[in-house]
Amino acid sequence: MSQDSRLLSVACVAGLAALALMTWQLFDPRVWPVIVAMSVGQVLGTASFVTYGYVVLAAYRADRRPNTQGHVGSE
Amino acid sequence: MTLPTAPLAIVALGLAALSAVILAWYLVRQPPLVRVTKIWLLLGLGLFPIAAAFAGNVQGFEATKERTFCGSCHVMSLHRDDSDDIASNSLASRHARNPMFGSENCYVCHADYGMFGTVVTKAGGLRHVWLYLTEYRNVTVEASKSTIHLREPQKMNDNCMQCHSTKDSLWLAIPDHRAPLAEERAGSLSCASEGCHGLAHPFFRPARQASARLL
Repeated sequence: MSQDSRLLSVACVAGLAALALMTWQLFDPRVWPVIVAMSVGQVLGTASFVTYGYVVLAAYRADRRPNTQGHVGSE
Repeated sequence: MTLPTAPLAIVALGLAALSAVILAWYLVRQPPLVRVTKIWLLLGLGLFPIAAAFAGNVQGFEATKERTFCGSCHVMSLHRDDSDDIASNSLASRHARNPMFGSENCYVCHADYGMFGTVVTKAGGLRHVWLYLTEYRNVTVEASKSTIHLREPQKMNDNCMQCHSTKDSLWLAIPDHRAPLAEERAGSLSCASEGCHGLAHPFFRPARQASARLL
């Protein structure tokens, strides 16, 4: 598994955890579920999206780099 | 735990479900990072969760106005139970039976009504969480009656005056309203003091009350 795939897998797991935390408050709208959803949930969700952005940007830059070693980009 | 029925909550759940399906698909299939995969992940990690978070947060903020939310801290259970009691004659309960206040009566009476009122009120709510964690977590309900106090009691009359303007002729015709009018409007004499309309939460006795006219 490449580093990109590993990072994206971590992002997906973090994203799923964030979704679980963000939807918990909808079923149980008490103090702690709401606070956790709006803090930990948001942080995890943002981190997963930033990770995705980082991987896609890195892949884009790798594709644009001069192909001196016969490297084939991700597409 | 209840099934959400609010439209925004259902939208948030739908978007979260779509996002979860995409993320699970990626984790199971591990497809190569080609353009189609990037677009699906953009939906699954970006657009759908952001929209779900937005809808969920709006719904969450609405939930924080509910009496059940305020009463979910044990030290507020007496306040919640009194408002729930249809036989109670406390100011809080009587207002809770008014549809204009209803299940949001805590928020309607204790919110800040300034330009940034909602934000200020929610920031104040975070202070409540901090105080709960640091001071009130292990306080018994009985002890909370005499230790919980209003931070800015002089502001409470402003909230009463959101509805009771103190300018109506019928209201001004009552001598007990008219005589201390300046004090009432300034908030130095609480509408909810024992000589006037009584404590909003009669079981509740702030520690400072004995030496102050303010609730």
